[in-house]
Amino acid sequence: MIAFTDIVGMDLAKQALMLLAVDSELGGVVIPSAVGSGKSTLARAFADILPESTPFVELPLNVTEDRLIGGVDLEATLATGLRVVQHGVLSKAHGGVLYVDSLSLLDSSAVSHIMDAMSRSEVLVEREGLSEVHPAKFMLVGTYDPSDGEVRMGLLDRIGIIVPFTAQNDYRARKKIVNIVMGTRDAEDTQDELNMLAGFIKAAKEQLPHVSITDDQIKALIQTAISLGVEGNRVDIFTVRAALASAALAQRSDVEDEDMKQAIKLVLIPRATRMPEREAESNEAPPQEELPPPPEDEPEGEDEEAPADTSDSDAEEQQKETPDMIEELMMEAVEMELPDNILNISLASKKKATTGSRGEALNNKRGRFVRSQPGEMRSGKVALIPTLISAAPWQETRRRDSKMAGRPKTALLITKDDVKIKRFRDKSGTLFIFMVDASGSMALNRMRQAKGAVASLLQNAYVHRDQVALISFRGKQAQVLLPPSQSVDRAKRELDVLPTGGGTPLASALYLGWETAKQARTKGVTQVMFVLITDGRGNISLQSTFDPTAEKATKEELEKEVEALSLSIQADGVAAIVIDTQMNYLSRGEAPKLAQKLGGRYFYLPNAKAEQIVEAALSF
Amino acid sequence: MTQTEPVAKKTAAKKPVAAKAKAESAVKKKKSGLAFPFTAIVGQEEMKLSLILNIIDPRIGGVLVMGHRGTGKSTTVRALAEVLPFIERVAGDTYNRTVEQYLEAEDGKKGGKAIDPATLKVEQIPVPVVDLPLGATEDRVCGTIDIEQALTSGVKAFEPGLLAQANRGFLYIDEVNLLDDHLVDVLLDVAASGKNVVEREGISIRHPARFVLVGSGNPEEGELRPQLLDRFGLHARIITILDIQKRVAIVKLRREFDENPDAFMEKYNAEQQALQQKIQTAKDLLPQVTMTDEVLTDIAKLCMNLGIDGHRGELTITRTAHAHAAYKGETVVTMQHVKEIAGLCLRHRLRKDPLETLDAGEKIDRELAKVLGEVEAV
Repeated sequence: MIAFTDIVGMDLAKQALMLLAVDSELGGVVIPSAVGSGKSTLARAFADILPESTPFVELPLNVTEDRLIGGVDLEATLATGLRVVQHGVLSKAHGGVLYVDSLSLLDSSAVSHIMDAMSRSEVLVEREGLSEVHPAKFMLVGTYDPSDGEVRMGLLDRIGIIVPFTAQNDYRARKKIVNIVMGTRDAEDTQDELNMLAGFIKAAKEQLPHVSITDDQIKALIQTAISLGVEGNRVDIFTVRAALASAALAQRSDVEDEDMKQAIKLVLIPRATRMPEREAESNEAPPQEELPPPPEDEPEGEDEEAPADTSDSDAEEQQKETPDMIEELMMEAVEMELPDNILNISLASKKKATTGSRGEALNNKRGRFVRSQPGEMRSGKVALIPTLISAAPWQETRRRDSKMAGRPKTALLITKDDVKIKRFRDKSGTLFIFMVDASGSMALNRMRQAKGAVASLLQNAYVHRDQVALISFRGKQAQVLLPPSQSVDRAKRELDVLPTGGGTPLASALYLGWETAKQARTKGVTQVMFVLITDGRGNISLQSTFDPTAEKATKEELEKEVEALSLSIQADGVAAIVIDTQMNYLSRGEAPKLAQKLGGRYFYLPNAKAEQIVEAALSF
Repeated sequence: MTQTEPVAKKTAAKKPVAAKAKAESAVKKKKSGLAFPFTAIVGQEEMKLSLILNIIDPRIGGVLVMGHRGTGKSTTVRALAEVLPFIERVAGDTYNRTVEQYLEAEDGKKGGKAIDPATLKVEQIPVPVVDLPLGATEDRVCGTIDIEQALTSGVKAFEPGLLAQANRGFLYIDEVNLLDDHLVDVLLDVAASGKNVVEREGISIRHPARFVLVGSGNPEEGELRPQLLDRFGLHARIITILDIQKRVAIVKLRREFDENPDAFMEKYNAEQQALQQKIQTAKDLLPQVTMTDEVLTDIAKLCMNLGIDGHRGELTITRTAHAHAAYKGETVVTMQHVKEIAGLCLRHRLRKDPLETLDAGEKIDRELAKVLGEVEAV
């Protein structure tokens, strides 16, 4: 086991965990990081800096609902004939740490239960005849690889600290890690360092109640949250707590600028939904009704968007009383962190195209059994254990009754009422991935049609448990505008800004669509359908998406690339339709060819209405 | 076994604990930490008003609170318990029934003997607020056979579930849009009939289950099933507060509460009681509140212009406006009252148009202005 102090690199993650150790009310720490960065080693080493005997419970990904929440202990119930309670994992973590590796792969119902426990600090067990409340106040430490997908926003909202994404440790740091793994470090040194660190944290905890923060400082933190378009008010409390904990770690009694910067870095920036504006207009609070628009998704446009260097004289016209000095400082902190981070965090989905895939290995979760419910023997798969649990306490009485009725003796008396059938999570409908060609002159038209079709599909999605995603492709590469979602609200919001024009990176769209499909499958989606709205003429290669210095691909190369991808996608069991909305005389037959390669159908719908597109998608 | 001591200790700690006696677990349930006081919650007036109006008149049909994460949805609902008025029930009755309801259901049941109402004790209890967790199983929601009793005394007795506890009170579901379909079916059934029917192990139970359904959630996590959406009388929307002063106040209040919850509660005691009293007064006033035919006509016009199907829209507005007037201490419903609650009542009943850009609230306001304009013109 590698000790906390032996881990090299990941400094921010370490700081984050130390803050959590000082103030458990921060709720938890999430560490997004690429494979092999040592994030899970670090998370497990977190126990080193906590007081001895603090519970540290690791949550297995395939946890069932009754193991998570608690329920009837079958063995003990059978042995005693009395209903015996088995505490769940959430309650076992009470007073300590709940650790989840690969947090983004956790089943959505498990996520809901964790969220619920975190908001109550306890678990309500209302199951199988039990009605109990178990205390469950824990810190959640989660690590995940962003290429596996996002963590649900609702859960992130309950976790105070999100460590900015780190792709890889640098070479030297890795070499050091290897040395440690090989046992070249002195065990005594390690122990001394650990003791020292534990001492720091203990002292910081004692200091914490004596740290104060001024109203102006609180104001500045909140102003920063608003500038970054962070949703919700709970995050304010986390930000303030993080600043206080940071000051406590430094044995200060007042919060200073560096504590505020630390809080902004670890709490606010990872939740940013837009770039801050530096000028006075940023202080005019956006209208209450609407959330600020998402940031322009153009990495290459970043430079132009950076605020122009203007004098501070305008700032005097600000209506807010927030002291300019503090605010200035905060904005600096934000700007220093932003360019690298805002585009890299899990919350920004556009990064996915370039990260590797690991999702496949975890595909076996498809249609996983999560809970049982009463039902007819023939109406589904019988869940054996829950059926036994429900029959167990009755055996004595039933045996007596059966004897009295003169029926032959049987080992087990199970009645119709006991039968529980299995419920599978996400026997979900289809994921429709719309891929819309946003290049060229007809782009606006196509985007409008696609938007209508997406919204219209979502209106009816509930019935079939369908989901919709939208990928647009233009310029150098495709991007996910709407990750798989059932939410009409979200779709409307995300689709509001639709850039158009530029080249046609068809292969990139197919690739990104395939990645999205794979990720969705690890979360229980079984059927995926591509709805391509394009004339089928790609002119930007996938190669050039990854490597900007690559030479311009020839027509043959482009075709080959699309063909190879299409065949793989088809072989992977993804259905597809291609809708061509281009006027006929322009078409050179590329779209039907694309449909053929994908093993899908081709529709020619000039001036298609949203409804026609939906009809085509559903008819297939 | 050659286990070392600490390991052995661990397994001992892991040993399952036998289920506690029922009475004890009921007591334990009530004692789950202090809730943040309702009157200390800053902003989110729409949600607070919706909840209060439902206390004044439970027939309004509940509230659905949807909106941004981390905006105090569940904090507010859980804070509600402290400002609820009291109701009278037959002492110890698990279904919270009044004497009349109790007699109607139980009279003549026990060996055919009539129950003498004079022997029934009554007690005052705060309006119950029951939390339905997402992981609840059907048997705990609807009730089932009490296994312990069956085993120890051989009697097949019914063990009431959450629906029984919630009778005449509030049933709260956080993340209601993530509730299992199976449980949604159960809820829809019960909400429509006001009764819960359980048949199991050869016994058949039917008990009243009328409750104010309160749900909350974030629309981005998933849509609510249309039938369930329709069940909610009011739909409050909640958004991130962008006013800095308010947000600073929230942070400071929360910190004060976390530091010393008891002292904090003490500080808000008077306000809490005043609100509780105000609600009770409004409840008492409600039967005297009247509405003119003109106002009713305007309400009907509004619903018609908005193309709302059925009559639930009108009915909800009417009831809510009455409660709102009573809350303001007035006995005649005016269009001003209607105006203030129309959005809450109708937002979720508008027909959905995928390409509509206008917010539901704005649309209602626009139609309302038209109706009101007509009134002035006449």
